[in-house]
Amino acid sequence: MSYLSISHITKQFGDTVVVDDFNLDVEKGEFVSFLGPSGCGKTTTLRMVAGFEIPTAGRITLDGADITEKAPNQRNVGMIFQSYALFPNMTVAQNIGFGLGVRKEPKEMISQRVEEMISLINLEKHANKYPYQLSGGQQQRVSLARALAIHPQVLLLDEPLSALDAKIRVSLRAEIRAIQKKLGITAIFVTHDQEEALSISDRIVVMNAGLMEQVGTPFEIYNFPQTQFVANFVGSLNTANAEVSDPVKGLVNVNGVQFITASDIKSRKKGDAIRVSVRPERFSFVSEEKKDNVLDCVIENITFLGSVVRIQVRIGEAKFNMDTFNNPFLDLPKIGSKEQVTCSKEAVLVLDE
Amino acid sequence: MTTSSVSSTVVIKPPATRKRWESWLIFVVVSLYFLIPLGATFYWSLRGEKDVLGFEAYRKLFADTNFLPAFSESIVNAIATIMLSLLIVVPTAYWVTLRLPKLRPVVEFITLLPFVIPGIVLVFGIIRLYSRPPLLLTATYDSSRVLLICVYVALSFPYMFRSVDNGLRAIDVRTLTEAAQSLGANWPAILFKVIFPNLRVALLSGALLTFAIVIGELTIALYMAQHTLGPYMANLTRSKVYEPSAMAIVAFAITWAAMGIIDFVGRGSSRHAQMIDTD
Repeated sequence: MSYLSISHITKQFGDTVVVDDFNLDVEKGEFVSFLGPSGCGKTTTLRMVAGFEIPTAGRITLDGADITEKAPNQRNVGMIFQSYALFPNMTVAQNIGFGLGVRKEPKEMISQRVEEMISLINLEKHANKYPYQLSGGQQQRVSLARALAIHPQVLLLDEPLSALDAKIRVSLRAEIRAIQKKLGITAIFVTHDQEEALSISDRIVVMNAGLMEQVGTPFEIYNFPQTQFVANFVGSLNTANAEVSDPVKGLVNVNGVQFITASDIKSRKKGDAIRVSVRPERFSFVSEEKKDNVLDCVIENITFLGSVVRIQVRIGEAKFNMDTFNNPFLDLPKIGSKEQVTCSKEAVLVLDE
Repeated sequence: MTTSSVSSTVVIKPPATRKRWESWLIFVVVSLYFLIPLGATFYWSLRGEKDVLGFEAYRKLFADTNFLPAFSESIVNAIATIMLSLLIVVPTAYWVTLRLPKLRPVVEFITLLPFVIPGIVLVFGIIRLYSRPPLLLTATYDSSRVLLICVYVALSFPYMFRSVDNGLRAIDVRTLTEAAQSLGANWPAILFKVIFPNLRVALLSGALLTFAIVIGELTIALYMAQHTLGPYMANLTRSKVYEPSAMAIVAFAITWAAMGIIDFVGRGSSRHAQMIDTD
């Protein structure tokens, strides 16, 4: 049996089903992210693990013990909030020691643990400051230390980086991951930011409208999305209407242009309306290498995005974005010129709606 | 109190059109509005001796054997009222904020009732209700006093509830509660280690307002035959010339002293309220 097991969890508020048959096994030391748009049920699921919500149906077990209906203060979980939730009336050290204090641990043990935690988050100079004297990033590190001080069995992070500015968000994300690995603690991380989920997790659960869409490693989620929703939500994606022209050979017709796909469309009939999806970085110019699909196109627009140059091309009547890495010697085509782009048949995805 | 400390983080620039001397003019006019009556009362209170300015009226006031007992009785009543009111209002407001936000309008309405019902109506209603078995509370002086304190508690609700409610809104009660819970805290620990300390300013301002009401209250105490400061002062006005003014100045000084204490004690935690607000 796995360390944390969430089995067939359903949560209803009145008639609204917020989480529908959620099933997940998390191994000890694993870092799992719940990714999805707001209202998809990811935070509710996390709050059920924390004990702030009780599932309508289903069980949660942690290290073999059923915790489904245990009060939050009887579970040994560490929770981190988007708003930091530090106690304003306590110093950094008092905040970190709070959990051990209410457990009536001996004084020397508390101060030793507090010191340990403060050095873990590198805030030695700020131990006696109040939360309002710290920056957002520092406050969130204190909140991490406070949650870890009680030796929680699971660390739960509810969009911990969303209130921070971009630079701090990236560095704190790396710091959280490093500390999690160092301590070998099991963590669940809720976010709506796909880049965050991809960079920090061992596994990602993509959720939509209360349902789990796909569970997998970041690599699997990005490269082998199983549903249209996952493909759209994670990374950027070109999508075009098409119809099946040969189910066996995998040929599809996008506004008069023939594409070949590696997706299994044998169950479909000739003439069925479908949608094809291609990630922008899967296209390249023919000059480099010819792949399964070679397509005539007209250059419509070029956008410089820094490390990436996004080129909009028109293939037949459909417009696609194509991403190519920037380098100072890049020879970009002119807008309006005719070119040929290519992509493999694996790059052409036909996904379930 | 709490609201002012929270909004002080926002720097409001005066409109460019308002000149400096205009602001000063408004300030002076408003100050005069308060200071002239106060000054006149003080001046009058100093004229207790013929043709000399002095503290004769004050000496007589403090020499009156009825003054200090009435005063101390009012202070004890005020403190009892504050304690009882806090015990009722804080858990109620906390619970409404946390679990029953839909009930907030109902609770707000109930706490406003003392404003709607005139004191004279209230006191006759109470006397009628509590002067017969099974709730015979007007029989002795002490039981009437208990009843009086209970009425004051009700009178304090509008001020107390609003202060506490403002304080609760200034901190993120729900998240702080959840953070404390996940760290293993039980309800008493959450209330006494997290919620109360962060409400200090709000509790103090509610307590101050309650104190001021109870010290000065006349109607109800009078009809319930209580020897508190209000009836004492009313009686003084009827029989004496200069002492009532001296008494007014003493009461005023006490109110300011109470405000000073609250400002002093509250200064420490007003910073925390600001921080929460900027999160």
